[in-house]
Amino acid sequence: MRKQTVLWALVVIAALLLSGCTAVQPATGGAGQTGSADAAATAAVDEGLLGTIKERGKIIVGTSADYPPYESIDAEGKYVGFDMDLTRAVAEKLGVEVEIQDMPFDSLIAALQEGKIDAVIAAMQSTPERDETVDFSIDYRPTKDAFLGAADSAIELKTGTDAAGYSIGAQTGTVQEGWVQSALVGAGLTPADKAFSYERADQGGLDVANGRIDLLLIDAEPAIALADQLGLKILLITDSTTTAGKAIAIPDGESALKAELDKIIQGLNDDGTILQIEQANNLPDLN
Amino acid sequence: MPFLEKFYTTILFLLEGLGVTVSVTVIALAVGFVLGVLMAVLRVYGSRPLAALAAAYSVIVRAVPVVVTIFILYFVIASIINLTPFLAGALALGFASGAYQSEIFRGALQSVAPGQMTAARAIGMSRVQAIRHIILPQAVRLALPGWGNEATLVLKDSTLVFAVGVPEMLRRAQYVSSRTLEPFLAFGTAALLYLVLTMLTTFVLSRVEQRYRLLT
Repeated sequence: MRKQTVLWALVVIAALLLSGCTAVQPATGGAGQTGSADAAATAAVDEGLLGTIKERGKIIVGTSADYPPYESIDAEGKYVGFDMDLTRAVAEKLGVEVEIQDMPFDSLIAALQEGKIDAVIAAMQSTPERDETVDFSIDYRPTKDAFLGAADSAIELKTGTDAAGYSIGAQTGTVQEGWVQSALVGAGLTPADKAFSYERADQGGLDVANGRIDLLLIDAEPAIALADQLGLKILLITDSTTTAGKAIAIPDGESALKAELDKIIQGLNDDGTILQIEQANNLPDLN
Repeated sequence: MPFLEKFYTTILFLLEGLGVTVSVTVIALAVGFVLGVLMAVLRVYGSRPLAALAAAYSVIVRAVPVVVTIFILYFVIASIINLTPFLAGALALGFASGAYQSEIFRGALQSVAPGQMTAARAIGMSRVQAIRHIILPQAVRLALPGWGNEATLVLKDSTLVFAVGVPEMLRRAQYVSSRTLEPFLAFGTAALLYLVLTMLTTFVLSRVEQRYRLLT
Protein backbone atom coordinates (compact mmCIF):
# COMPACT_ATOMS: atom_id res chain seq x y z
CA MET A 1 0.00 0.00 0.00
CA ARG A 2 2.74 2.46 0.91
CA LYS A 3 4.54 2.00 -2.35
CA GLN A 4 1.34 2.62 -4.26
CA THR A 5 0.88 5.84 -2.38
CA VAL A 6 4.39 6.91 -3.32
CA LEU A 7 3.77 6.13 -6.98
CA TRP A 8 0.58 8.12 -6.96
CA ALA A 9 2.35 10.94 -5.21
CA LEU A 10 4.72 10.99 -8.18
CA VAL A 11 1.77 11.54 -10.49
CA VAL A 12 0.53 14.35 -8.29
CA ILE A 13 3.98 15.94 -8.21
CA ALA A 14 4.08 15.77 -11.99
CA ALA A 15 0.73 17.54 -12.15
CA LEU A 16 1.87 20.15 -9.65
CA LEU A 17 5.00 20.76 -11.66
CA LEU A 18 2.79 21.51 -14.59
CA SER A 19 0.65 24.03 -12.80
CA GLY A 20 3.68 25.55 -11.10
CA CYS A 21 5.86 25.79 -14.15
CA THR A 22 4.52 29.17 -15.17
CA ALA A 23 6.79 30.51 -12.47
CA VAL A 24 9.89 28.96 -14.02
CA GLN A 25 11.80 31.44 -16.09
CA PRO A 26 14.81 30.59 -18.23
CA ALA A 27 18.04 32.00 -16.92
CA THR A 28 19.22 33.52 -20.17
CA GLY A 29 20.99 36.70 -21.03
CA GLY A 30 18.56 39.10 -22.62
CA ALA A 31 16.11 36.60 -24.06
CA GLY A 32 12.87 36.45 -22.18
CA GLN A 33 9.18 36.50 -22.57
CA THR A 34 7.32 38.06 -25.41
CA GLY A 35 5.26 40.69 -23.71
CA SER A 36 1.52 40.85 -23.91
CA ALA A 37 0.38 43.78 -25.94
CA ASP A 38 -3.38 43.41 -25.70
CA ALA A 39 -3.85 46.48 -23.53
CA ALA A 40 -1.60 48.57 -25.68
CA ALA A 41 -3.17 47.45 -28.94
CA THR A 42 -6.45 49.27 -28.38
CA ALA A 43 -4.71 52.48 -27.38
CA ALA A 44 -2.63 52.49 -30.51
CA VAL A 45 -4.96 51.84 -33.41
CA ASP A 46 -3.60 54.68 -35.53
CA GLU A 47 0.07 53.84 -35.34
CA GLY A 48 -0.32 50.05 -35.36
CA LEU A 49 2.73 48.20 -34.09
CA LEU A 50 4.67 51.45 -33.58
CA GLY A 51 2.03 52.55 -31.07
CA THR A 52 2.18 49.15 -29.37
CA ILE A 53 5.95 49.39 -29.02
CA LYS A 54 5.78 52.89 -27.55
CA GLU A 55 2.95 51.93 -25.23
CA ARG A 56 4.92 48.91 -24.02
CA GLY A 57 8.09 50.99 -23.74
CA LYS A 58 10.08 48.16 -25.27
CA ILE A 59 10.89 46.86 -28.73
CA ILE A 60 11.41 43.11 -29.11
CA VAL A 61 14.01 42.46 -31.78
CA GLY A 62 14.72 39.02 -33.19
CA THR A 63 18.18 38.02 -34.30
CA SER A 64 20.28 34.93 -34.83
CA ALA A 65 23.33 35.46 -32.68
CA ASP A 66 25.87 33.26 -34.43
CA TYR A 67 26.98 35.63 -37.14
CA PRO A 68 29.94 37.75 -36.07
CA PRO A 69 30.71 40.58 -36.67
CA TYR A 70 27.00 41.36 -37.12
CA GLU A 71 25.61 39.51 -34.13
CA SER A 72 27.09 37.14 -31.60
CA ILE A 73 27.27 36.49 -27.88
CA ASP A 74 30.42 37.42 -26.01
CA ALA A 75 32.00 35.50 -23.13
CA GLU A 76 29.83 37.42 -20.64
CA GLY A 77 26.67 36.33 -22.48
CA LYS A 78 25.98 39.80 -23.90
CA TYR A 79 24.72 40.46 -27.42
CA VAL A 80 27.46 42.17 -29.39
CA GLY A 81 28.15 43.16 -32.99
CA PHE A 82 27.18 45.76 -35.55
CA ASP A 83 23.49 44.84 -35.68
CA MET A 84 23.21 44.79 -31.91
CA ASP A 85 24.75 48.27 -31.61
CA LEU A 86 22.42 49.43 -34.38
CA THR A 87 19.47 47.89 -32.54
CA ARG A 88 20.34 49.83 -29.40
CA ALA A 89 20.81 53.06 -31.36
CA VAL A 90 17.42 52.62 -33.06
CA ALA A 91 15.70 51.85 -29.76
CA GLU A 92 17.26 54.93 -28.21
CA LYS A 93 15.86 57.08 -31.02
CA LEU A 94 12.46 55.43 -30.56
CA GLY A 95 12.75 56.19 -26.86
CA VAL A 96 12.12 52.59 -25.80
CA GLU A 97 13.98 49.76 -24.09
CA VAL A 98 15.22 46.87 -26.19
CA GLU A 99 14.77 43.16 -25.71
CA ILE A 100 16.74 40.88 -28.00
CA GLN A 101 15.36 37.44 -28.79
CA ASP A 102 17.77 34.89 -30.21
CA MET A 103 16.39 32.21 -32.55
CA PRO A 104 17.41 30.26 -35.64
CA PHE A 105 17.61 32.47 -38.74
CA ASP A 106 14.95 30.28 -40.39
CA SER A 107 12.47 31.00 -37.58
CA LEU A 108 12.79 34.79 -37.68
CA ILE A 109 10.26 35.55 -40.43
CA ALA A 110 7.69 33.17 -38.92
CA ALA A 111 8.15 34.75 -35.48
CA LEU A 112 7.71 38.19 -37.04
CA GLN A 113 4.53 37.17 -38.85
CA GLU A 114 3.08 35.64 -35.69
CA GLY A 115 3.80 38.80 -33.70
CA LYS A 116 6.33 37.12 -31.40
CA ILE A 117 8.86 39.81 -32.24
CA ASP A 118 8.46 43.39 -33.49
CA ALA A 119 11.40 43.53 -35.86
CA VAL A 120 14.26 41.46 -37.24
CA ILE A 121 17.76 42.90 -37.22
CA ALA A 122 19.95 40.02 -38.33
CA ALA A 123 21.97 41.15 -41.36
CA MET A 124 18.84 40.24 -43.32
CA GLN A 125 18.73 41.31 -46.95
CA SER A 126 15.58 42.94 -48.25
CA THR A 127 15.03 40.59 -51.16
CA PRO A 128 11.84 40.73 -53.27
CA GLU A 129 10.88 37.21 -52.06
CA ARG A 130 11.00 38.23 -48.42
CA ASP A 131 9.33 41.54 -49.20
CA GLU A 132 6.21 39.60 -50.19
CA THR A 133 5.69 38.33 -46.64
CA VAL A 134 7.22 41.11 -44.53
CA ASP A 135 8.08 44.79 -44.91
CA PHE A 136 11.56 46.27 -44.85
CA SER A 137 13.01 49.56 -43.74
CA ILE A 138 15.45 51.33 -46.05
CA ASP A 139 18.82 49.56 -46.23
CA TYR A 140 21.20 50.34 -43.39
CA ARG A 141 24.15 48.76 -45.14
CA PRO A 142 24.92 47.51 -48.66
CA THR A 143 25.67 43.82 -49.21
CA LYS A 144 28.69 42.25 -50.77
CA ASP A 145 29.37 38.56 -50.87
CA ALA A 146 32.65 36.74 -50.60
CA PHE A 147 33.79 33.42 -51.99
CA LEU A 148 36.14 31.63 -49.61
CA GLY A 149 38.53 28.86 -50.55
CA ALA A 150 41.21 26.87 -48.77
CA ALA A 151 44.52 28.63 -48.13
CA ASP A 152 46.18 26.77 -51.02
CA SER A 153 43.19 27.03 -53.35
CA ALA A 154 44.12 27.57 -57.01
CA ILE A 155 40.60 28.53 -58.06
CA GLU A 156 40.39 31.90 -59.81
CA LEU A 157 37.14 33.81 -59.82
CA LYS A 158 36.34 37.02 -61.71
CA THR A 159 32.61 36.94 -61.17
CA GLY A 160 30.10 34.81 -59.27
CA THR A 161 29.29 32.40 -62.06
CA ASP A 162 32.97 31.44 -62.39
CA ALA A 163 32.20 29.21 -59.38
CA ALA A 164 30.39 26.87 -61.78
CA GLY A 165 31.21 23.22 -61.29
CA TYR A 166 33.03 23.55 -57.97
CA SER A 167 31.49 22.14 -54.81
CA ILE A 168 30.09 25.10 -52.94
CA GLY A 169 28.50 25.76 -49.57
CA ALA A 170 26.19 28.45 -48.21
CA GLN A 171 24.21 29.07 -45.03
CA THR A 172 20.66 27.68 -44.87
CA GLY A 173 17.91 30.20 -45.54
CA THR A 174 20.28 32.92 -46.74
CA VAL A 175 20.21 34.86 -49.98
CA GLN A 176 23.56 33.33 -50.89
CA GLU A 177 22.05 29.87 -50.68
CA GLY A 178 19.25 31.05 -52.96
CA TRP A 179 21.80 32.39 -55.43
CA VAL A 180 23.70 29.08 -55.46
CA GLN A 181 20.46 27.21 -56.08
CA SER A 182 19.19 29.48 -58.87
CA ALA A 183 22.28 30.87 -60.61
CA LEU A 184 24.48 27.77 -60.34
CA VAL A 185 22.33 24.66 -59.80
CA GLY A 186 19.16 25.95 -61.47
CA ALA A 187 21.12 27.18 -64.49
CA GLY A 188 22.76 23.77 -64.85
CA LEU A 189 26.26 25.10 -64.13
CA THR A 190 26.78 23.08 -60.96
CA PRO A 191 25.35 19.62 -60.25
CA ALA A 192 22.86 19.65 -57.37
CA ASP A 193 24.95 17.23 -55.33
CA LYS A 194 27.82 19.72 -55.25
CA ALA A 195 25.78 22.44 -53.53
CA PHE A 196 25.82 22.21 -49.73
CA SER A 197 23.85 24.03 -47.06
CA TYR A 198 25.08 24.70 -43.56
CA GLU A 199 23.16 25.63 -40.46
CA ARG A 200 25.91 28.08 -39.55
CA ALA A 201 28.55 29.84 -41.62
CA ASP A 202 31.43 28.63 -39.45
CA GLN A 203 30.55 24.99 -40.19
CA GLY A 204 30.92 25.75 -43.89
CA GLY A 205 34.21 27.51 -43.19
CA LEU A 206 35.55 24.44 -41.42
CA ASP A 207 34.53 22.22 -44.32
CA VAL A 208 36.43 24.49 -46.70
CA ALA A 209 39.46 24.38 -44.41
CA ASN A 210 39.20 20.57 -44.24
CA GLY A 211 38.87 20.31 -48.01
CA ARG A 212 35.37 18.81 -47.99
CA ILE A 213 34.09 21.60 -50.25
CA ASP A 214 35.90 23.93 -52.64
CA LEU A 215 34.06 27.18 -51.98
CA LEU A 216 31.90 28.90 -49.41
CA LEU A 217 29.66 31.81 -50.40
CA ILE A 218 28.66 34.09 -47.53
CA ASP A 219 28.37 37.76 -46.65
CA ALA A 220 31.66 39.60 -47.08
CA GLU A 221 32.11 40.71 -43.45
CA PRO A 222 31.76 37.36 -41.67
CA ALA A 223 33.82 35.94 -44.53
CA ILE A 224 36.70 38.25 -43.67
CA ALA A 225 36.53 37.25 -40.00
CA LEU A 226 36.19 33.58 -40.88
CA ALA A 227 39.11 33.69 -43.34
CA ASP A 228 41.21 35.37 -40.69
CA GLN A 229 40.42 32.84 -37.98
CA LEU A 230 40.55 29.67 -40.11
CA GLY A 231 43.33 30.71 -42.45
CA LEU A 232 41.14 30.64 -45.55
CA LYS A 233 41.69 32.55 -48.79
CA ILE A 234 39.24 35.22 -49.94
CA LEU A 235 38.92 34.42 -53.63
CA LEU A 236 36.48 37.16 -54.60
CA ILE A 237 34.46 39.94 -53.00
CA THR A 238 31.62 40.85 -55.29
CA ASP A 239 28.15 42.30 -55.62
CA SER A 240 27.46 40.15 -58.70
CA THR A 241 25.67 37.65 -56.45
CA THR A 242 23.66 40.15 -54.42
CA THR A 243 20.36 41.80 -55.10
CA ALA A 244 19.59 43.77 -51.97
CA GLY A 245 21.11 45.56 -49.00
CA LYS A 246 20.59 44.77 -45.34
CA ALA A 247 17.50 46.21 -43.75
CA ILE A 248 15.26 45.89 -40.70
CA ALA A 249 12.34 43.53 -41.29
CA ILE A 250 8.98 44.37 -39.74
CA PRO A 251 5.52 42.78 -40.08
CA ASP A 252 3.70 43.36 -43.35
CA GLY A 253 1.68 46.57 -43.62
CA GLU A 254 3.12 48.40 -40.59
CA SER A 255 3.52 51.67 -42.47
CA ALA A 256 3.82 53.92 -39.41
CA LEU A 257 6.64 51.78 -38.00
CA LYS A 258 8.36 51.65 -41.38
CA ALA A 259 8.20 55.43 -41.77
CA GLU A 260 9.66 55.90 -38.29
CA LEU A 261 12.46 53.36 -38.84
CA ASP A 262 13.32 54.84 -42.25
CA LYS A 263 13.61 58.26 -40.65
CA ILE A 264 15.78 56.91 -37.81
CA ILE A 265 18.13 54.98 -40.15
CA GLN A 266 18.50 58.01 -42.41
CA GLY A 267 19.29 60.10 -39.34
CA LEU A 268 21.84 57.59 -37.99
CA ASN A 269 23.46 57.53 -41.42
CA ASP A 270 23.59 61.32 -41.73
CA ASP A 271 24.97 62.00 -38.27
CA GLY A 272 27.73 59.38 -38.69
CA THR A 273 26.44 56.96 -36.05
CA ILE A 274 26.33 54.05 -38.49
CA LEU A 275 29.90 54.75 -39.66
CA GLN A 276 30.96 54.91 -36.04
CA ILE A 277 29.46 51.53 -35.10
CA GLU A 278 30.86 50.03 -38.31
CA GLN A 279 34.30 51.06 -37.15
CA ALA A 280 33.66 49.95 -33.58
CA ASN A 281 32.87 46.45 -34.89
CA ASN A 282 35.70 46.41 -37.47
CA LEU A 283 33.37 46.33 -40.45
CA PRO A 284 34.98 47.31 -43.74
CA ASP A 285 33.44 50.20 -45.68
CA LEU A 286 31.64 48.58 -48.62
CA ASN A 287 30.43 51.70 -50.39
CA MET B 1 44.97 30.60 -23.74
CA PRO B 2 46.02 27.11 -22.64
CA PHE B 3 43.57 24.32 -23.36
CA LEU B 4 42.50 23.66 -19.76
CA GLU B 5 41.66 27.29 -19.18
CA LYS B 6 39.61 27.45 -22.39
CA PHE B 7 37.87 24.24 -21.41
CA TYR B 8 37.08 25.67 -17.98
CA THR B 9 35.61 28.94 -19.32
CA THR B 10 33.60 26.98 -21.90
CA ILE B 11 32.13 24.73 -19.20
CA LEU B 12 31.19 27.74 -17.08
CA PHE B 13 29.59 29.44 -20.10
CA LEU B 14 27.61 26.31 -21.04
CA LEU B 15 26.50 25.68 -17.46
CA GLU B 16 24.49 28.90 -17.59
CA GLY B 17 22.25 27.05 -20.04
CA LEU B 18 21.99 24.02 -17.75
CA GLY B 19 18.99 25.42 -15.89
CA VAL B 20 17.06 25.83 -19.14
CA THR B 21 17.99 22.35 -20.36
CA VAL B 22 17.08 20.68 -17.08
CA SER B 23 13.82 22.57 -16.55
CA VAL B 24 12.68 22.03 -20.14
CA THR B 25 13.43 18.31 -19.73
CA VAL B 26 11.66 17.99 -16.37
CA ILE B 27 8.56 19.86 -17.55
CA ALA B 28 8.41 17.88 -20.78
CA LEU B 29 8.80 14.55 -18.97
CA ALA B 30 6.10 15.49 -16.46
CA VAL B 31 3.66 16.63 -19.16
CA GLY B 32 4.48 13.54 -21.19
CA PHE B 33 3.99 11.29 -18.16
CA VAL B 34 0.52 12.61 -17.41
CA LEU B 35 -0.50 12.53 -21.08
CA GLY B 36 1.16 9.18 -21.67
CA VAL B 37 -0.49 7.39 -18.73
CA LEU B 38 -3.87 8.91 -19.56
CA MET B 39 -3.70 8.00 -23.23
CA ALA B 40 -2.43 4.49 -22.51
CA VAL B 41 -5.30 3.83 -20.07
CA LEU B 42 -7.79 5.17 -22.61
CA ARG B 43 -6.30 3.01 -25.28
CA VAL B 44 -6.37 -0.21 -23.29
CA TYR B 45 -9.46 0.26 -21.13
CA GLY B 46 -11.34 3.16 -22.76
CA SER B 47 -14.49 3.03 -24.84
CA ARG B 48 -13.96 2.62 -28.57
CA PRO B 49 -14.06 6.33 -29.53
CA LEU B 50 -11.72 7.29 -26.68
CA ALA B 51 -9.32 4.48 -27.56
CA ALA B 52 -9.38 5.65 -31.17
CA LEU B 53 -8.64 9.21 -30.08
CA ALA B 54 -5.68 8.07 -28.00
CA ALA B 55 -4.42 5.93 -30.88
CA ALA B 56 -4.73 8.85 -33.30
CA TYR B 57 -2.75 11.11 -30.94
CA SER B 58 0.00 8.53 -30.66
CA VAL B 59 0.21 7.84 -34.39
CA ILE B 60 0.08 11.46 -35.52
CA VAL B 61 2.47 12.91 -32.96
CA ARG B 62 4.98 10.13 -33.48
CA ALA B 63 4.78 10.62 -37.24
CA VAL B 64 5.69 14.30 -37.04
CA PRO B 65 9.29 15.31 -36.32
CA VAL B 66 9.48 16.70 -32.78
CA VAL B 67 10.94 19.99 -33.96
CA VAL B 68 7.91 20.47 -36.25
CA THR B 69 5.53 19.76 -33.36
CA ILE B 70 7.33 22.38 -31.28
CA PHE B 71 7.20 24.89 -34.11
CA ILE B 72 3.49 24.34 -34.78
CA LEU B 73 2.49 24.41 -31.13
CA TYR B 74 4.46 27.59 -30.53
CA PHE B 75 3.17 29.53 -33.47
CA VAL B 76 -0.38 28.17 -33.54
CA ILE B 77 -1.31 27.70 -29.90
CA ALA B 78 0.80 30.53 -28.52
CA SER B 79 -1.00 32.90 -30.90
CA ILE B 80 -4.18 32.16 -28.93
CA ILE B 81 -2.76 31.99 -25.42
CA ASN B 82 0.30 34.15 -24.82
CA LEU B 83 2.98 31.73 -23.72
CA THR B 84 6.66 32.47 -23.32
CA PRO B 85 8.91 30.64 -25.79
CA PHE B 86 10.33 28.72 -22.85
CA LEU B 87 6.98 27.45 -21.65
CA ALA B 88 5.64 26.84 -25.15
CA GLY B 89 8.76 24.91 -26.08
CA ALA B 90 8.70 22.81 -22.92
CA LEU B 91 4.98 22.03 -23.22
CA ALA B 92 5.31 21.17 -26.90
CA LEU B 93 8.17 18.82 -26.13
CA GLY B 94 6.00 17.25 -23.42
CA PHE B 95 3.13 16.88 -25.89
CA ALA B 96 5.48 15.03 -28.24
CA SER B 97 6.97 12.90 -25.49
CA GLY B 98 3.46 11.99 -24.31
CA ALA B 99 2.90 10.03 -27.50
CA TYR B 100 6.04 7.97 -26.99
CA GLN B 101 5.30 7.53 -23.30
CA SER B 102 1.74 6.37 -24.09
CA GLU B 103 3.26 3.49 -26.08
CA ILE B 104 5.55 2.62 -23.16
CA PHE B 105 2.65 2.60 -20.71
CA ARG B 106 0.36 0.77 -23.13
CA GLY B 107 2.86 -2.04 -23.33
CA ALA B 108 3.15 -2.07 -19.55
CA LEU B 109 -0.63 -2.09 -19.03
CA GLN B 110 -1.01 -4.99 -21.43
CA SER B 111 1.64 -7.00 -19.65
CA VAL B 112 -0.25 -6.91 -16.36
CA ALA B 113 -1.90 -10.34 -16.24
CA PRO B 114 -5.62 -10.16 -17.20
CA GLY B 115 -6.45 -12.19 -14.08
CA GLN B 116 -5.59 -9.12 -11.99
CA MET B 117 -8.53 -7.20 -13.43
CA THR B 118 -10.85 -10.18 -13.08
CA ALA B 119 -9.83 -10.68 -9.47
CA ALA B 120 -10.24 -6.98 -8.64
CA ARG B 121 -13.71 -6.96 -10.17
CA ALA B 122 -14.59 -10.15 -8.29
CA ILE B 123 -13.90 -8.51 -4.93
CA GLY B 124 -16.26 -5.68 -5.86
CA MET B 125 -13.98 -2.97 -7.26
CA SER B 126 -15.25 -0.83 -10.09
CA ARG B 127 -13.22 -0.80 -13.32
CA VAL B 128 -11.81 2.63 -12.48
CA GLN B 129 -10.88 1.51 -8.97
CA ALA B 130 -9.25 -1.62 -10.37
CA ILE B 131 -7.22 0.38 -12.87
CA ARG B 132 -6.19 2.89 -10.24
CA HIS B 133 -5.35 0.56 -7.38
CA ILE B 134 -4.43 -2.73 -9.05
CA ILE B 135 -3.40 -2.30 -12.66
CA LEU B 136 -1.58 1.05 -12.78
CA PRO B 137 0.70 0.55 -9.76
CA GLN B 138 1.98 -2.62 -11.43
CA ALA B 139 2.08 -1.12 -14.92
CA VAL B 140 4.05 1.96 -13.89
CA ARG B 141 6.67 -0.31 -12.30
CA LEU B 142 6.85 -2.41 -15.44
CA ALA B 143 7.18 0.75 -17.54
CA LEU B 144 10.15 2.13 -15.63
CA PRO B 145 12.99 0.67 -17.77
CA GLY B 146 11.40 1.91 -20.99
CA TRP B 147 10.54 5.21 -19.37
CA GLY B 148 14.15 5.71 -18.33
CA ASN B 149 15.14 5.38 -21.95
CA GLU B 150 12.54 7.97 -22.95
CA ALA B 151 13.89 10.30 -20.25
CA THR B 152 17.35 10.28 -21.84
CA LEU B 153 15.78 10.90 -25.26
CA VAL B 154 13.78 13.87 -23.99
CA LEU B 155 16.94 15.28 -22.40
CA LYS B 156 18.55 15.34 -25.82
CA ASP B 157 15.38 16.53 -27.57
CA SER B 158 15.40 19.51 -25.21
CA THR B 159 17.96 20.97 -27.62
CA LEU B 160 15.13 21.32 -30.16
CA VAL B 161 13.34 24.06 -28.22
CA PHE B 162 15.85 26.51 -29.62
CA ALA B 163 13.74 26.41 -32.79
CA VAL B 164 11.38 28.80 -31.04
CA GLY B 165 14.12 30.86 -29.43
CA VAL B 166 15.00 29.21 -26.14
CA PRO B 167 18.78 29.29 -25.86
CA GLU B 168 19.48 26.03 -24.02
CA MET B 169 22.86 24.43 -23.46
CA LEU B 170 23.58 23.32 -27.03
CA ARG B 171 22.79 26.80 -28.37
CA ARG B 172 25.30 28.19 -25.92
CA ALA B 173 27.83 25.76 -27.38
CA GLN B 174 27.00 27.23 -30.81
CA TYR B 175 27.67 30.72 -29.42
CA VAL B 176 31.10 29.54 -28.28
CA SER B 177 31.75 27.81 -31.59
CA SER B 178 30.86 30.84 -33.71
CA ARG B 179 32.80 33.18 -31.43
CA THR B 180 35.98 31.14 -31.07
CA LEU B 181 35.74 28.97 -34.20
CA GLU B 182 36.70 26.00 -32.07
CA PRO B 183 33.76 23.65 -32.59
CA PHE B 184 35.50 20.64 -31.08
CA LEU B 185 36.03 22.44 -27.81
CA ALA B 186 32.49 23.87 -27.78
CA PHE B 187 30.59 20.76 -28.81
CA GLY B 188 32.95 18.37 -27.05
CA THR B 189 32.30 20.18 -23.79
CA ALA B 190 28.56 20.09 -24.50
CA ALA B 191 28.78 16.35 -25.22
CA LEU B 192 30.51 15.82 -21.89
CA LEU B 193 27.82 17.73 -20.01
CA TYR B 194 25.04 15.77 -21.74
CA LEU B 195 26.85 12.54 -20.91
CA VAL B 196 27.00 13.51 -17.23
CA LEU B 197 23.31 14.48 -17.25
CA THR B 198 22.34 11.22 -18.94
CA MET B 199 24.40 9.16 -16.48
CA LEU B 200 22.79 10.98 -13.56
CA THR B 201 19.31 10.36 -14.96
CA THR B 202 20.07 6.70 -15.56
CA PHE B 203 21.53 6.32 -12.08
CA VAL B 204 18.55 7.90 -10.32
CA LEU B 205 16.07 5.90 -12.36
CA SER B 206 17.84 2.61 -11.78
CA ARG B 207 17.62 3.28 -8.05
CA VAL B 208 13.90 3.99 -8.41
CA GLU B 209 13.57 0.79 -10.45
CA GLN B 210 15.23 -1.26 -7.71
CA ARG B 211 13.15 0.34 -5.02
CA TYR B 212 9.83 -0.36 -6.73
CA ARG B 213 10.69 -3.65 -8.42
CA LEU B 214 7.83 -6.15 -8.54
CA LEU B 215 8.63 -9.35 -6.67
CA THR B 216 7.77 -12.13 -9.04
